[in-house]
Amino acid sequence: MRTALQILLCVATVVAQATFSSLLSLNNVYPDLCIILACLAGFLSNEYKGLMIGLTVGLLQDLLTPGGIGVNLILKGLAGTLAGLTTHTVSTVTTGAVIIVTLVLSLGSGLASLVLAYPPLDGSDTLHIIVGVLVPQALYNSALAAGIFLAIHKVQRSFGVIHFAQRGR
Amino acid sequence: MPRSEPTSLPITTGLRRLLVGIIILFLLLLLFLPRQSQEWLGQVGGPVAMILEGPLQGVSSIQNSAKETWSQYIAHQQVWEENQRLKVEIQKLQGEQNRLREQAILDRDFEKLSMYQTTAPMTTLYARIIGRNVSNWYRAVVIDKGASDGVHVEMGVITNAGVVGRVVRVNPTTSIVLLLSDPNVAITGMIQASRDEGIIQGTPQGNIHMKYLPPLSPVQVGDAVVTSGLTEDFPRGLHIGHIKQVTKAATDLFQSGEVTPIVDFSKLEGVLVVTSFQPAISTEASSSAGTLPSP
Repeated sequence: MRTALQILLCVATVVAQATFSSLLSLNNVYPDLCIILACLAGFLSNEYKGLMIGLTVGLLQDLLTPGGIGVNLILKGLAGTLAGLTTHTVSTVTTGAVIIVTLVLSLGSGLASLVLAYPPLDGSDTLHIIVGVLVPQALYNSALAAGIFLAIHKVQRSFGVIHFAQRGR
Repeated sequence: MPRSEPTSLPITTGLRRLLVGIIILFLLLLLFLPRQSQEWLGQVGGPVAMILEGPLQGVSSIQNSAKETWSQYIAHQQVWEENQRLKVEIQKLQGEQNRLREQAILDRDFEKLSMYQTTAPMTTLYARIIGRNVSNWYRAVVIDKGASDGVHVEMGVITNAGVVGRVVRVNPTTSIVLLLSDPNVAITGMIQASRDEGIIQGTPQGNIHMKYLPPLSPVQVGDAVVTSGLTEDFPRGLHIGHIKQVTKAATDLFQSGEVTPIVDFSKLEGVLVVTSFQPAISTEASSSAGTLPSP
């Protein structure tokens, strides 16, 4: 049941990315809802859950993108895993940690996508992509992830829930 | 000291008797002389009636105003209820109007595409756009036609206005179309007036460039750019856009230009996938390959 719900969440995220992301765009910068989901799964659960949700959402995203199948699968899976590993390195995952880790993972994932997605670019185009798309997008992703993380924490507190899931340490 | 008797009692008793006598006499007069007594009473009753008129009018006006207030309250209540009902009706009608307007716009777009489809010298398949920008690194759309509908990779995608892009991935029931503004798309185009050919390619900024134009080409701002038909995805002569800016540095071998696309990629709702350069011959072929469904 829980697995089915997680798959449903991944499907809903990819569908939202394909249909509603334009509503969330700021100056033509779209948030990557899939990487946000993978990272949050890692932060709120563990690296295994982050990996599984990252792989699922990445695979679904790959099916609807022009690039080869496997790019998002690997990147999102890796992002989920690394976000999950953060919970081992800090005693408590705070909003600040979520912002920093999501920012770094978004930048890394974006750079990898940039290399794989675009044909060889000249210096000015590369600079434009990094300054105009990559960095704003990573900032947007991290801000959105932090907002959702805070919202989930508030809901957890109001319902008296302590942990999002059993931590498999 | 003995208490003395009140002195007024005999007088009062006498007066009472007198009063009773007068009243009896009055009643007898009323009984036996009705006409005269009526006249007399009428004369006396006039001023009395005048005295009563004031309070009567007052009470009457209070009663009337109370009645009026009540009826106004009832009327207000009815108006309020009617107002609420009309508000609900207005909302319903506004929703209906919006739906019809949307349908009219869809019908208009559909009609344009349908008309183009029947007159275009090629076989096309109508597809609806169901998703956009699933990834941040590509300018792509998802259409609702796939391999089961006869769509293949590398097929061209157009609208009645001009070129949209190219199919790059086909799933069983959906396909991914890379838009002309994506750097991964390159098609051959030519300046319509001078017939000079070049390569049309998207840029990371989302613009469209025409590269490798001959150095002596008389290309000018505003010139129409069309497909050259040298590649297998688009037939010759499909509109791509207009030249917005021409650039040629002293060290460059070729000229290049920025192209304003004829299609607004952000407002696409329906497209045509070019399945064959040959026009649909029979009705059967048309129905199996490219007839537009109802929107």
